[in-house]
Amino acid sequence: MSTKHNGPATASTPPSTGAAGGEPAPHDSGDHLALPRTIDVRVLRQDAPGQESYWERHAVAWEPNMNVISVLQKIAAGARAQDGRQVAPVAWDCNCLEEVCGSCTMLINGRTRMACSALVDRLVEEHPDGIELRPMLKFPVVRDLVVDRRRLFRSLERVKAWVPVDGFYDHGAGPRISPEEQEDAYPLSTCMSCGCCLEACPQFTRIETVRRDGETEEAFEQRRTAAFDRGFIGAHAISQAVLFNGHPIGKLIADERMEAVTDQGGIQMCGNAQNCVAVCPKSIPLTRSIARAGRAATMWAIRKIFDR
Amino acid sequence: MAQPRVLVVGGGLAGLSAAMRLAELGSDVDLMSLVPVKRSHSVCAQGGINSVNALTRQQGDNEWKHLDDTIYGGDFLQHQPPVKEMADWGPRIIDLMDRLGVPFNRTPEGFRDQRRFGGTLYKRTAFAGATTGQQLLYALDEQVRRFEAQGKIRKFEFWDFLSPVLDDSGRCRGAVCQDMVSMQFRTFPADAVIIASGGCGLVYGRSTMSMVCTGSAVSRVYQAGAAYGNGEFIQVHPTAIPGADKLRLMSESARGEGGRVWVPRRPQDARDPRSIPEAERYYFLEERYPKYMNLVPRDIATREIFDVCTTEGLSVEKDRLCVYLDLTHLPREELDRKLHGILEIYEKFQGVDPRDVPMKIFPAVHYSMGGLWVDYQKSASGGLEEGSPRNQQTSVPGLYAIGECDYQYHGANRLGANSLLSCIFSGLFCAPGVIASAGSGKKTAADESQRLFTTALRREEERHEALLTRPGGGENPYQIHLELGELMTRVATVVRRNDQLAPAYEEACQLEERWRRCSLSDTGNWTNQNVVFTKSLGDMFPLAKLILKGALLRDECRGAHFKPDFEMPDIKATDPAAQLAEAELWCDRFEENTRRWLKSTIARHGTDGHPQISYEDIDTSLIPPRPRLYGLVGGETVEEVWKKRARKSAQDKGQEKGVTAGSERS
Amino acid sequence: MTPNESSRSFFARNQFLIYRLFSLSGLIPVGAFLVVHLLTNASVLGGAASFQSRVDMIHGLGPLLVPVEWAFIFLPMLFHATVGFMIIGGGLPNVGSYPYVGNIRYTLQRATGMIAFAFIIWHVLQLHWMGEPLGGGRFDPHHATSSAAEVVAPLAISLLYAIGVLSTVFHFANGLWTQGITWGLWTSPQAMRRANYLSIAVGTLLAAAGLGAIGGLRGTDTAAARAVETRMDDQRRLLEGQPPSPLSGTPAPGRPVPGRDSGAEDAIDLRSGSDLVPLLIPEPAGAVAPTTGPAPLSGN
Ligand SMILES: Cc1cc2nc3c(=O)[nH]c(=O)nc-3n(C[C@H](O)[C@H](O)[C@H](O)COP(=O)(O)OP(=O)(O)OC[C@H]3O[C@@H](n4cnc5c(N)ncnc54)[C@H](O)[C@@H]3O)c2cc1C
Ligand code: SF4
Ligand code: SF4
Ligand code: FES
Repeated sequence: MSTKHNGPATASTPPSTGAAGGEPAPHDSGDHLALPRTIDVRVLRQDAPGQESYWERHAVAWEPNMNVISVLQKIAAGARAQDGRQVAPVAWDCNCLEEVCGSCTMLINGRTRMACSALVDRLVEEHPDGIELRPMLKFPVVRDLVVDRRRLFRSLERVKAWVPVDGFYDHGAGPRISPEEQEDAYPLSTCMSCGCCLEACPQFTRIETVRRDGETEEAFEQRRTAAFDRGFIGAHAISQAVLFNGHPIGKLIADERMEAVTDQGGIQMCGNAQNCVAVCPKSIPLTRSIARAGRAATMWAIRKIFDR
Repeated sequence: MAQPRVLVVGGGLAGLSAAMRLAELGSDVDLMSLVPVKRSHSVCAQGGINSVNALTRQQGDNEWKHLDDTIYGGDFLQHQPPVKEMADWGPRIIDLMDRLGVPFNRTPEGFRDQRRFGGTLYKRTAFAGATTGQQLLYALDEQVRRFEAQGKIRKFEFWDFLSPVLDDSGRCRGAVCQDMVSMQFRTFPADAVIIASGGCGLVYGRSTMSMVCTGSAVSRVYQAGAAYGNGEFIQVHPTAIPGADKLRLMSESARGEGGRVWVPRRPQDARDPRSIPEAERYYFLEERYPKYMNLVPRDIATREIFDVCTTEGLSVEKDRLCVYLDLTHLPREELDRKLHGILEIYEKFQGVDPRDVPMKIFPAVHYSMGGLWVDYQKSASGGLEEGSPRNQQTSVPGLYAIGECDYQYHGANRLGANSLLSCIFSGLFCAPGVIASAGSGKKTAADESQRLFTTALRREEERHEALLTRPGGGENPYQIHLELGELMTRVATVVRRNDQLAPAYEEACQLEERWRRCSLSDTGNWTNQNVVFTKSLGDMFPLAKLILKGALLRDECRGAHFKPDFEMPDIKATDPAAQLAEAELWCDRFEENTRRWLKSTIARHGTDGHPQISYEDIDTSLIPPRPRLYGLVGGETVEEVWKKRARKSAQDKGQEKGVTAGSERS
Repeated sequence: MTPNESSRSFFARNQFLIYRLFSLSGLIPVGAFLVVHLLTNASVLGGAASFQSRVDMIHGLGPLLVPVEWAFIFLPMLFHATVGFMIIGGGLPNVGSYPYVGNIRYTLQRATGMIAFAFIIWHVLQLHWMGEPLGGGRFDPHHATSSAAEVVAPLAISLLYAIGVLSTVFHFANGLWTQGITWGLWTSPQAMRRANYLSIAVGTLLAAAGLGAIGGLRGTDTAAARAVETRMDDQRRLLEGQPPSPLSGTPAPGRPVPGRDSGAEDAIDLRSGSDLVPLLIPEPAGAVAPTTGPAPLSGN
């Protein structure tokens, strides 16, 4: 709640050409030598939830094939701000570094994306005055670039994103599935719960619950979950509901999923801005999912009225 | 008996399958992971998962052949009963994953499609697009979430497993762990603890593995007394994209579709690769292997690429070892049609279009075959006794290990697409045994266990405090990690030499000393990634040392462990009679080597901090060892001689049947 | 999942239904009314008489008109606006960071919704009740064209109308498209693209009608129109057995009508409207043609 969204403390200055003077001037031509020798990185930091956020500048030595993760690794290794002050390393999330685990979502130059696939040379090409990193806005900041995305997993639970199998004993193969059905389902199944779609969605707003004095862990968790459940479930969970409602066995609990999808904070919250599909790093056809869920919700609501 | 409580450390394929099976069997499960389980390293697997299937069966395949391929591929360095059990379970596991909703690719009629992977003649590999690991993991993650919603499984994500808690009898009673957000410590009493923490690629600095693959959990139980097996066996993948942060896998299919590997003849030729004329390019694989050309097997490709860069100094770049993998001579449309997915990866992470510019690639550490030593109970049929508490149990009672972090299934070398199978198998299979073990353990008195946990907790708190309060201005942990990675990659990957390994061991010890002096740049107590990393770095040294020591001591070539000084020679004679004689000698030498070295390396953490290495006999009761003759000059003659010997020994065996190595295990 | 149903507000429990009703109300009746309204207005392009006859038809509802207006127009519109404002309040537009077409449309949808709401309130208050204090004048249903023409005569008012009409039309046409997604009419990207063309077509047509009406009114010779209207009004009164309106033929208070005495009978053609396209809508049967004398009585 306390994140300040003011610009960098220092107005954007041209990137420094590094300690070694006499380097070729940056950006005078498109070739490699002309890239800046150090990159000006501005990070919006926050020490803990509820604390003030602040901008910090780092000068990172340029190397070929860098991505934002390697920039952060260098910042961590150096642990010094641009002015030479010793600072704690910037905290951030990552794991696979191949854009499949969904850990490293952050705002890079104002836009939500995966840090591991954000190439420095491209970023500098687009924004010659450096790279700006900040945490996602729609999730509570834990520290620096680390945010708490539990709500996203809670949404998966809300829509019962699973196949309700009897158990794990051997019962032979699953149902036959045509290649067309597979090709339809597969893209939805590559969703890595990164949260980009939620971050960019104008209808998805931050929910931050703060533990009260004397509140037990359980009571707090319950209250937090209840708060999540009042909020928008978002494109990612809607798409998972569509995925499982399309599965021959998954659809056995389609009604329960529709119940969730049309409950408070359900699909009706979507305003069709279609940012979600534009920013999804896995190019998942989210608007198709949303429209399909919309259709199913329509039918379901009508049915419900008559079945009452 | 009250419901047993089990702590599962690790939420990759292995940890998740164990958790959900345990929950199904009525146990309460605490599932712990450094990252949300859905983000575990298993998501990286692209290729697929192996099992015999209806189609291959009709082409003559069966579980036995899958067993044989796995054993042969692993150069006989694994106990055979667990592998047999795994191969037998294969079809059931794929069926189960299918039922859980994994979107496997389909044939036009709607059956699961299969592809062929290295090391077999059959199309055994089921796959889901180019993200099989991700799809399998998600299916398990979903089932676990289902149990979580019912309160059967509790998840502890962003938690670090610090140490097992052992009682005075040496049995595991639980663990001490730390919340990586609040930095709070907590004890987890449990009737059994399962380690499913994956590989340890970060010991090598950069690898194809994910950032949490530090091996820390494994190292911590090793330091607490669990034995570690076959540490020196580390698989290196021939083609990866070197990145500043990670080495990303480049599928072999790039070579399969006609990619050519070359380096400029002039070292570090600075010209644009496209402008280098044919005559000045060195297609070293094609020149050295005119028969196989660029499609030599993985290990040979790895060695040659490594060799051309290090020994011959012909790396494309000076500061960074790499060779060209060139597809630019192939038509664009064809590339797009056949290799779209993998070319996209290159483009995404290198920012260069591989259809226009040759890719730069280099071998990279990819998989740890070694891991925590685990037990098994052999069944009468040669497989495993399901439900035995011994299955997957480490040398510490009540402490289990499954997945990539056990040493059980892949021997000296892992076959492609076999790891996903072993992870899910070990997770599902161990559950009933774990529950049996949990029930069998004598309960400790409450105050007794209170004392155990308080002591363990205090020990970890003190270790943590000590790190935070180190004086400033000391060593930088990230720098030490860099140096450790460089050291390990230099001496303990593709080619291993004793004259490098011995000093490297000393260097590793020195690095460890330096680690003791490193100071933290973050001394706070909130989401302190600095201290978590520094701790795990410290825990890399015991693993690095056992890898180096194991490699140093193993004077032979086996699977991924290649020591040119101990290579089996080619048959040089040309005269048939002399050839035969040489082949006889070859086979003698092979048998001698088998007697000497067909043993698991077992490392135990010594009180002095050095690994104590011993060797364990291997249960080869199902398939007798035979030489791998791939690419050996004169291999046909050797094969002839070998077969004759094998027949004879089979006759001898028939007379004195019954002794099984497995039953001798403690 | 919802441990205590009754603890949740009515709104929370019925959010889906309310939002769907909101969506529906944008089309029926509010959107439908908008279409009828704009097309009716555009009939001014066909002459004062044609517009007047349509207005008369509407006002033919007599005492029912007020309840009908409230039930089918004002209340649904208020409902649509109330929920709409709640939705706007719950959103967080971010076109600055994500300047995609869809997002721009999303933001415009909200902006135009608010503009349309303000505009409609003003428009209704002005024409229905208050008149001049809100600029322009009041609408006189018996002198539809001339009173409306007087209202939009000041350029500023015309511009306000143009903005209001365009906003409303955008809001409606874009809403049509998003509605199709919401209800699941078009789900695939191709279908959405095609639906998009449809909504653009609808929007263009309505915008043309709306702006056309404003243009048509601005080009109207008020006096001539008034003459036509007065005659039609007298006729109507005759039919209804009422005496001619005492006010008929008198200028609107405070606003001298030029050419009032210039023999309105001859001035029935709308001079400056000659280059305007005649309206597409056919004259309703029995509509009073602008003839020189009172129309013959037919029937009773
Ligand atoms: C690029 C790549 C491609 C591959 N492709 C294939 C393939 O096609 N086919 C195939 O069969 N195999 C493949 N493999 C191998 C296979 O992916 C892995 O062996 C397998 O996924 C390992 O799974 P796991 O469950 O053992 O551990 P992981 O998935 O690595 O999970 C480890 C878990 O342990 C947790 N953990 C670790 N340390 C701690 C700690 N201290 N405290 C708490 N939790 C901890 C982690 O958070 C994580 O949840 C590939 C590997 C790579 C690198
Ligand atoms: S739908 Fe796309 S953007 Fe959203 S969580 Fe999944 S992968 Fe990320
Ligand atoms: S289409 Fe819906 S879910 Fe997607 S960004 Fe827009 S409002 Fe959010
Ligand atoms: S680190 Fe896994 S997506 Fe970026």
